[in-house]
Amino acid sequence: MTTSSEDVLLAIKRVRQKKQDGILFLMAERIAWTPEGKDRFTVSHLYADIRCQKISPDGKAKIQLQLVLHTGETTNFHFTNESSALKDRDAVKDLLQQLLPKFKRKTNKELEEKNRMLQEDPLLFQLYKDLVVSQVISAEEFWANRLSLNSVDSSLPNHKQEVGISAAFLADVRPQTDGCNGLRYNLTSDIIESIFRTYPAVKQKYAENVPHNMTEKEFWTRFFQSHYFHRDRISMGVQDLFSECAKLDDKGLKTMVGQGVKNPLIDLTSLDDQTLDEGYGVSSAPSSSGCTKSVKETSNTAIIKRFNLHSAMVLAAGLRKHEPQNEQNSETSSTDGNSRDSDFFQPPLKKVKLQEAIEYQDLKQENGKKTIALTLKKSERYSHGPVPVQSQPYTTSQDIINSVNYIKHEMDNYTPHLNHVLSSSAASSAITALSPGGLLMQGGAHQAINQMVPNDIQSELKHLYVAAGELLRHFWSCFPVNSPFLEEKVVKMKSNLERFHSSKLRPFQEKVQRQYLSTNLTGHLEEMLQASYSKFHMWQSKRMIRKT
Amino acid sequence: MASDDELSLLLIVVDVNPLWWGRKAQEEPEFSLSKCIDAIMVLGNSHLVMNRNNRLAVIASHCQESHFLYPSKHWKGGDFASDENSAGSRDGKFELLTVANDLIVQEIKHLTARTQVRGQQTDTLLAGSLAKALCYIHRVTKQLEAGQEMKSRILVIKAAEDCASQYMNFMNVIFAAQKQGVLIDACVLDAESGLLQQACDITGGLYLKIPQTTSLGQYLLWVFLPDPDQRSQLVLPPPVHVDYRAACFCHRNLIEIGYVCSVCLSIFCNFSPICTTCETAFKIALPPVLKAKKKKPKLGT
Repeated sequence: MTTSSEDVLLAIKRVRQKKQDGILFLMAERIAWTPEGKDRFTVSHLYADIRCQKISPDGKAKIQLQLVLHTGETTNFHFTNESSALKDRDAVKDLLQQLLPKFKRKTNKELEEKNRMLQEDPLLFQLYKDLVVSQVISAEEFWANRLSLNSVDSSLPNHKQEVGISAAFLADVRPQTDGCNGLRYNLTSDIIESIFRTYPAVKQKYAENVPHNMTEKEFWTRFFQSHYFHRDRISMGVQDLFSECAKLDDKGLKTMVGQGVKNPLIDLTSLDDQTLDEGYGVSSAPSSSGCTKSVKETSNTAIIKRFNLHSAMVLAAGLRKHEPQNEQNSETSSTDGNSRDSDFFQPPLKKVKLQEAIEYQDLKQENGKKTIALTLKKSERYSHGPVPVQSQPYTTSQDIINSVNYIKHEMDNYTPHLNHVLSSSAASSAITALSPGGLLMQGGAHQAINQMVPNDIQSELKHLYVAAGELLRHFWSCFPVNSPFLEEKVVKMKSNLERFHSSKLRPFQEKVQRQYLSTNLTGHLEEMLQASYSKFHMWQSKRMIRKT
Repeated sequence: MASDDELSLLLIVVDVNPLWWGRKAQEEPEFSLSKCIDAIMVLGNSHLVMNRNNRLAVIASHCQESHFLYPSKHWKGGDFASDENSAGSRDGKFELLTVANDLIVQEIKHLTARTQVRGQQTDTLLAGSLAKALCYIHRVTKQLEAGQEMKSRILVIKAAEDCASQYMNFMNVIFAAQKQGVLIDACVLDAESGLLQQACDITGGLYLKIPQTTSLGQYLLWVFLPDPDQRSQLVLPPPVHVDYRAACFCHRNLIEIGYVCSVCLSIFCNFSPICTTCETAFKIALPPVLKAKKKKPKLGT
């Protein structure tokens, strides 16, 4: 049953698969299942083939484990042991979780990549069908050029775009009622990341507590239960994990306000509740004489403070990476905590921005760039049109005088006879010349070729051109033949071309002829193939000469 | 279907070079300038009658000037009865046609009457006439009421040969017409004109060289009367193969492959070490000289 070198890591009895009872074995490299009483494995999957595993949710009656393979197949195992089904299933799951990453196949990525490319580009798919499926060219040659392009691309996704924080992420975590008086929060990794970025204090707490003191689930449950999270953040009395966070947040807000706004042109302090002194975002810390205010005011200011902090954090989180630290330090030195001085201080950054807005480079005076003028000797040559110099009929001045007088005389006596513009014979001869097939209509026949050839033949011709182009590209890229690899490739390509010629081009030609189309559709393709044959023969004869 | 508000302007540029016409009329008396003007008037009238909104303009292209035959500055529009010369329509024709015809006749007579004989100016000022035509089209477009659209085309009836010295102006006019969306059609009576072939190719118009000049009227009505929109539905003469080859600067031969100076972009048919236009010196790379292989002296002996 098992090969001698395999050691069984885990064996679970009473596992059903496809309504049959059996035993599930987890070996070092594969997972297998045998029906009760039989000898051999009916189901066996290498860990390398398994893409992922899924388990049935906790509440369900049936305890199942599903394996999804790379090929998309799924296999279900149902654990039916009354006492220990859940334990069994979890044991299997954990073991698989440890083992699967070891066997994750890297090479499959290539296959997926190839499939993806073929699916995305129908032209490529058609080319693949034409060339590889019909054995004209081997698959490796086909992918030789293309995959190299893609491996370059795969390095690019490393520079992932930085994702910003949605301002409503906390609101998006909409609790769902769990039936019996509980609330269910769905936390995704995105939301968790956003919480950590906005509230670094929470991140710290998480790092401290998980996984030593409590599980992740417990941590988040506590988080949502804490008053820190809820509206009325009157965190007095209730000793919470997160009451420290509130204090840290206050401290953070104070320092941020103390730093002032670096670029007052993107000034948001005018939206502030508190009245600030004249100045550019510099203010003293809000007087925290909170005890004299009423409770309502306290809660209002608390909410507003939270919103301010939240927005400030969200903005800062996006900018944090790009602002160099020096800038921050220089700004804080120039903008003091005192509001009086701000009148005399213009933050340099603001000045620069204003300057940019005022000045237009076009309107400044030109700093004359040194140019070299073109010296032309006979510039009238340019104005002469492409009219070849022809011998003009010689006109003497007498001719000119005669012509002019004649015209003058004629026009003097001119009265229009619009009834006698055209004689009927002249008209009919003109009409004959203009009718299809007439003297003037000779060039028209060439245009109809795309109407004479049916569409399917046109598309087949297009496919032939694409396939031939691909083969010819491989062939011609071998020249100049420098290495033995190229020599082999040239010979192989020549045979490929001949195979293409006989297997694809000739049948097409015959088909076209059978349909009585007299147009020579494949002439150009034949020319290209003949050119490559003659080049090959020339190269071969040169090689023979060199050898002898 | 063209909407009622769409105007169609046909601008006819007639080559009335007196030298060519005079010489031609002496050779073949059946076809003369008068017959040509008659045919043009027939075309103009037909165009005006096709649609109430159609407009017409005629320019005469002379050696000395380009003159608008219609509409004319001397026309005082309005009350015809007061004008002694044209006592209304004599044969029950649409008033506009009568006016147009009379004006054309009047103007061409004045134009030829004031022709002066000059030896050097023997070429038709075609580029200038086309430029005037484009300006007229531009002016009319600006005078349209809001919401009205106008499609315009120029029909050139060419008699004399091409003038090489007008090449630059001609090409500028062609490109301007292409930008404005104005078609240039050409009806050539005598010698094939490469410039007009290019003009028609670039702007999308029709080029036709007429085998028989006596049937000019028929050709005009058959080929050049329909609007550009309708031309796709009709079987018309196929486009001519245009020769876009450049001419070398030294001999004025049309060449396909030549040498171009990289400094002044002048074209030559032969390589010369100094460009004659801008006097830049050039070197041409010679193929590498293969060194003869040294044979190793035989050892021994």
